[in-house]
Amino acid sequence: MLTKKVKKRVSFLSLLLISLVIAVFFILKSLTSNILYFKSPTDIQLSQDIIFNKKIRVGGMVKKNSIKINAQEIKFVITDLKNEIFVSYSGTVPNLFSEGKGVVAEGKLKDKNFFIADRILAKHDEKYMPPELKDLMKKNVK
Amino acid sequence: MFDLINPSRIFNWIEKLINFINSIFFILLIIALTFALVLSPPDYLQGDSVRIMYVHVPSAWIGLASFTAIALLSIISFIFKIKNLNLITKSIAPIGLLFTCLAIITGSLWGQPTWGTWWAWDARITSMLVLSIFYILFILAHKLIDNKDRANKVANLIAIIGLINIPVIRYSVDWWNTLHQPSSIKLDGTSSIHPSMLLPLMLMLLVLLLYCALILLMKYKTEIIRIKKKNIKRI
Amino acid sequence: MIQNFISMNGYGFFVWLSFAITFLACGMLYYKTYKTLKKYEKDFAKELDQLSEAERKLVLEKSKVASQFLASYNKSI
Repeated sequence: MLTKKVKKRVSFLSLLLISLVIAVFFILKSLTSNILYFKSPTDIQLSQDIIFNKKIRVGGMVKKNSIKINAQEIKFVITDLKNEIFVSYSGTVPNLFSEGKGVVAEGKLKDKNFFIADRILAKHDEKYMPPELKDLMKKNVK
Repeated sequence: MFDLINPSRIFNWIEKLINFINSIFFILLIIALTFALVLSPPDYLQGDSVRIMYVHVPSAWIGLASFTAIALLSIISFIFKIKNLNLITKSIAPIGLLFTCLAIITGSLWGQPTWGTWWAWDARITSMLVLSIFYILFILAHKLIDNKDRANKVANLIAIIGLINIPVIRYSVDWWNTLHQPSSIKLDGTSSIHPSMLLPLMLMLLVLLLYCALILLMKYKTEIIRIKKKNIKRI
Repeated sequence: MIQNFISMNGYGFFVWLSFAITFLACGMLYYKTYKTLKKYEKDFAKELDQLSEAERKLVLEKSKVASQFLASYNKSI
């Protein structure tokens, strides 16, 4: 059944696929910094060449008890549990924005520890459950 | 060995399958919709917007599965030159494109109330967009190239190249920081979705899969008749 | 209660729109596929009909698909 022609086509396809996988791997690898939708506070601490006037996105968790709201702005802290960054923002926040939840802030860095956001996106996690269950879990923790 | 996929044999039970699916489809649809829209609870965080997931997730799965099927059949067809398989891949493609687009649109409708944006150029969403482009290229290859053998060959190669994109979509949320959340249902079967929400999700998946089967059978039947009609003098 | 069901606690627009788009798109694809199938069936039946008696006998004898098709098509009319 495996004639010469079939063998030739099999080797052609495997060669094509292998070279494609390698090519795609290197393309994605070299584009990593562009593919990342946001940087974590640790990424920002570690990076050597920060461009302060370019728009970037910082993401992580909103630190517990860090949200302070006054008439002009909302201040909070984004943490990835290793490093933190202060964020100041004026405007409306999405419904799911809350302490202890994921967040992505879009804006400019003032320095390595201070970020001025002009847009806030809420990042959702992969857990889905009914509200009664969540209340039950809270009680159990207490 | 390939006698099982001989059109004249298949033709007989295509008819029976279409009738069978038609008879149970609407009952299942109503049950699934009742669970998805009424009986299932709202999410503790997202509230009722979680219900969009019941169309979004099955659509995305079907979009991915269709393309994987097309690509695998294309590999077999390319190596062994089985013309019948091309009829099947051609019949799957519009379904896959439809559901990939639906996944993107419903995802955007979910993103606005939850994330706070309609669209984000993150790895998951962009790779889904690339998938829809591969579908369009595949369909265009069949539509634009007149020589049937050439069209099959080009379309098969497009599908095989597009296969690389599938693991990229699947693992994009693990490899890179994305706005899109990680997968809730892992390949090993564990899930972080509460059973009361998993049930409507699976029911909707079943209904949409039956719909796909129906369209696929009808399209395949059309293709068989088209070929028989063309060769009527030669049969 | 019904009010609540329609408004979905404020998410009604997004929920209903995504379900509506999904079913509308599915319905349209079904309609298109169904129409194309019926058109081809009709054309094929017509062409079989136009063949001479002897030719048709030969076609039906040689092709299972054609005979099965004709049987189911005549039933559905």
